[in-house]
Order: sequence, then C-alpha cells, then structure tokens
Amino acid sequence: MIDVAEAYVSVDYDHCSYCGACVAVCPPDCITLHDATLMIDTAACTLCRRCLPACPTGALSIVEADA
Amino acid sequence: MKSDYDVIVIGAGPAGSIAARTTAQAGLATLLLEKRQEIGSPVRCGEAVGLETLVKFIQPDPKWISAEIDAFSLSNPQGDCLVVPPEEQTLMLERKIFDRELARLAAEAGAEVIVKARATGLIKKGPGIEGVRLNVQGQPREAHAKIVIGADGTESQSPRWAGLKSIPQLKDYYTAAQYLMTNIDVNPRICQYHIGWSLAPGGYCWVFPKGDKKANVGLVMWVDPKEKKTAIDYLNEFVAARFPDRSILSQIVGGIPVTNVLPEMAADGYMAVGDAAHQSDPLTAGGIGPSMCGGSLAGQVAVEAIKAGDVSAKFLKQYERMWDAQWGKSYRRLYRIRHALLKVPEDKLSHIIRQASLLDAQTLSLKDIALIVMKSYPQLMLEVIPYFLGQ
Ligand SMILES: Cc1cc2nc3c(=O)[nH]c(=O)nc-3n(C[C@H](O)[C@H](O)[C@H](O)COP(=O)(O)OP(=O)(O)OC[C@H]3O[C@@H](n4cnc5c(N)ncnc54)[C@H](O)[C@@H]3O)c2cc1C
Ligand code: SF4
Ligand code: SF4
Repeated sequence: MIDVAEAYVSVDYDHCSYCGACVAVCPPDCITLHDATLMIDTAACTLCRRCLPACPTGALSIVEADA
Repeated sequence: MKSDYDVIVIGAGPAGSIAARTTAQAGLATLLLEKRQEIGSPVRCGEAVGLETLVKFIQPDPKWISAEIDAFSLSNPQGDCLVVPPEEQTLMLERKIFDRELARLAAEAGAEVIVKARATGLIKKGPGIEGVRLNVQGQPREAHAKIVIGADGTESQSPRWAGLKSIPQLKDYYTAAQYLMTNIDVNPRICQYHIGWSLAPGGYCWVFPKGDKKANVGLVMWVDPKEKKTAIDYLNEFVAARFPDRSILSQIVGGIPVTNVLPEMAADGYMAVGDAAHQSDPLTAGGIGPSMCGGSLAGQVAVEAIKAGDVSAKFLKQYERMWDAQWGKSYRRLYRIRHALLKVPEDKLSHIIRQASLLDAQTLSLKDIALIVMKSYPQLMLEVIPYFLGQ
C-alpha cells in the first residue's frame, strides 16, 4: 500500500500534450487542464492510478516522495 | 462580453458551435466560450466524416475538404485485405478550417464568440444553474445565463459540475495517437482500417488519406491498467513496419469515450453535448457527425425551454429522448458489437478477415460475412444476433 501523503502523481512535461484523456477518467475530478499546464490537486487525488494507462504518451507516473 | 445571456455554450468544437448557432438563430442571446487561443487547433481527430450527417448542418466546401473517399479497407496483421464500399459517402476534412467555419457561422447567426475564455465552474442557485465562472485571458469573470450547454469535449468537467455522472469505465474509453504523415504511398480514395489486438489492443489502427501523399495515421486502443506500452508506442511500431520512408508533420494524442452516451445528459439548466456527453460512436469512436447532431438537438430544446420559461431538468430531458430516438438503437447495438468483438481472439479475427477477403467484394453481402463468422467463431454470431433481431 502506498501512503497517500508520501506519494503523488507526477507529470512529465516533455511528454504531455495537454490532451485531457487523464482528466476524463479521474474520479475525484482533481486534474485540470490549463493552456500549457496540467494541474493535479494532490490533496483530492486518491492515487487510484486510472489516469496512468489513459495517457497516450505515458507522461504520468506515481512518485513516492521518499524514494 | 456582457454579463447576462440566455444561453452560454462551453467549448467551440463541432458540438458547441452548432448548439450556439441553433440558439442564436432563434434570437436567443448566446455566448460561445473557447479556452484555446485558436478555434480548431490543435486538431485532435482522424478527420473522416460521413456526408449524410454533415449536410444536415453545413454544405460541403472544398476549402475544408482534403479528400473524398470511395471505399474502406479492412486488414489483418498478416496483410489480408477486404475492400468494401462505405455505408455513406465519406469525406476527409481539414478540421482546423472546418471548426473555425462552424464557429464563424454561429457568430454570423448572432452568437458572441470569445477565445482564451476558460469555464472554471458553474454558478449555482438551489438545484439550478445561474451561469458560468470564467477565466478570460487570465482574469476571473462571471457570466449569467438561463441555460448552460456543456460542449467541452473529452476533457469536459462541466457535466460533473452539473451533477451528472460522466466518469467512463476504463474499458469504455479509448486512448489515441495519430501522426499526420507525408511522403507515403497510399490509395488516396480508400480509408484503411487495420484490426488485430497485437497492433492496437481493444481498438484499431487507421490510415486516412488527405491527398498529396499525406495521411492521418493513427490508432485507438482500450485503457488497460496491465498494458505496458502506450498508444504512441503502438503507433510507432505500426508506422515503422509499414511506412519506412515517411516524414511526420504533426503528432497528436487524445482520448475518446465509447460508453454509448451518458446515462443522463440533462440537469436543471444544463445539457451536455458531443464528447462531453460521450456521443461518439461506441464502436469506431467517430464523433464529428454525432456531436453536431447533439449540439443541434440541445440547441432546439434550449430554445423551447426558454420560450416556455421552464429550464428544469424535467423539461430539458426532452433532449435525451430526441437523441435516443435518432441514435439510441444503433448505439446500443454498436456498443454490444464492440464488446462481443473484444472477446474474439486475434487469430480468429484474422481468419474472418482473410476468408472475407477471398470473396468477390462487389457481391459481398452481410449474409456472406455472417456465414464466415458462423464458421470461424460462432460465439460472436450468437452474441450479436439478438441485437440485430431485437432492439
Ligand atoms: C485521435 C482521434 C481521432 C479521431 N478521429 C475521428 C474521425 O476520424 N472521425 C470522427 O468523426 N471523429 C473522430 N474523433 C472524435 C472527434 O474528434 C470528436 O468526437 C469530436 O471532436 C467531438 O466534438 P466536440 O465538439 O464534442 O468536442 P471537441 O471537438 O473536443 O471540442 C471541445 C472544445 O471545448 C473546449 N473546451 C474544453 N474545456 C473548456 C473549458 N473549460 N472552457 C472553454 N472551452 C473548453 C476545447 O478547447 C475544445 O475546443 C477522433 C478523436 C481522436 C482523439
Ligand atoms: S491517480 Fe486517480 S485520483 Fe489521482 S489524478 Fe490519477 S485518476 Fe485522479
Ligand atoms: S493524458 Fe497524458 S498527454 Fe494527455 S493531458 Fe494527461 S498527462 Fe498530458
């Protein structure tokens, strides 16, 4: 189990195209797409991982803060 | 920008522009919001559209058509290829120009169109909606309206703001990637579909010609948490094997819901249209025609609701019934067909395509295909038949 406080979803901006596929599948609706930024509300994120495989470029990953 | 409107439409894709044109034409004060700085760009689409649906909304114009399509081909990974005439005449669009033209028509009808205007939330009053919170060129603003139409595409949040359930199951969401390629030799009048789970798990690859040795080459695949490779990885493999001499002019990625529309598309003072309402075809994910249709229906219902002075969910649900009367039956069938196909192993699918490719394409009928399927994988026939006979 990953502790919510110690892990977060990270965006690799070299790969993100701001397409919004991750926004569509996020249950707590905690991802927002601005012009060229993807905002993830880490407090609302449940680390459910649904956004990871939805991303066509593999730009999202879960980073464990301690690692 | 004023502070009060009859209707605010969020998103200037095909769904939003048609909705705004419909309400503006009826004399309603309409605001069409687009968060991008340029309507129609970047293009997130294979750009193939059926003529029959298109002409209900706009007359074809060479300035936004890049190719006319005479046939579709269906190939398996081994290269067996079946060529069939399309169900309806098909066009390849230049969506950059097409989307802008639709927005121009909305403006011509009287809608106010603004870009760099992102909806950030709905202004609520009791169960109803009073307007939209915005960010216009970096500044927070508010605009009020009797009805809000959410046409904010695949990344839409407005249905959730309105309380509608819009999170798809992962098996009903396609993740997608596409290259606009040049210097490739393809028949300029045939749209190619390539089917095989090793090429695109749970989806398919396409090569849609755009004339001048250019084509949109892309794929959709299902979202699978166990999958190690991304849509871009699969697309790179497909392209490397087939088009060694290509050059790539652009890369786009995206996602498309293939759920067979939201269970509810209307709430008090709110309707969702296009990809925001999951109106893409639940088998192929084609969404240009359906989204224009959804925009038009919601626009018509908005006009009636404002005339009647009743913007309650109960009144706006007419829109759901109108959608269902036009698309419901075929969408339920297409959804079931996709789920039945997903259970067919790749070798069986390939065998079906191979057997069909051996028959004379000119005389090939649905019955011939049914016979081949019956012999190759009878379970598929058994799953699909009830949906052809019944609903
Ligand atoms: C790779 C790919 C290939 C495809 N190929 C085809 C094809 O060949 N044929 C076909 O028919 N369909 C295809 N589709 C599907 C088709 O592109 C969509 O179904 C169609 O564009 C949906 O139209 P729409 O108006 O609902 O949404 P969109 O065209 O996505 O428009 C939504 C608009 O809303 C704006 N927006 C979003 N949020 C906000 C906000 N908060 N505030 C203001 N504006 C906002 C967006 O910037 C966007 O301009 C494809 C899709 C993909 C991803
Ligand atoms: S992990 Fe789940 S909750 Fe967190 S951003 Fe991704 S989809 Fe949303
Ligand atoms: S799905 Fe991937 S590429 Fe698309 S916006 Fe999300 S992180 Fe970026």
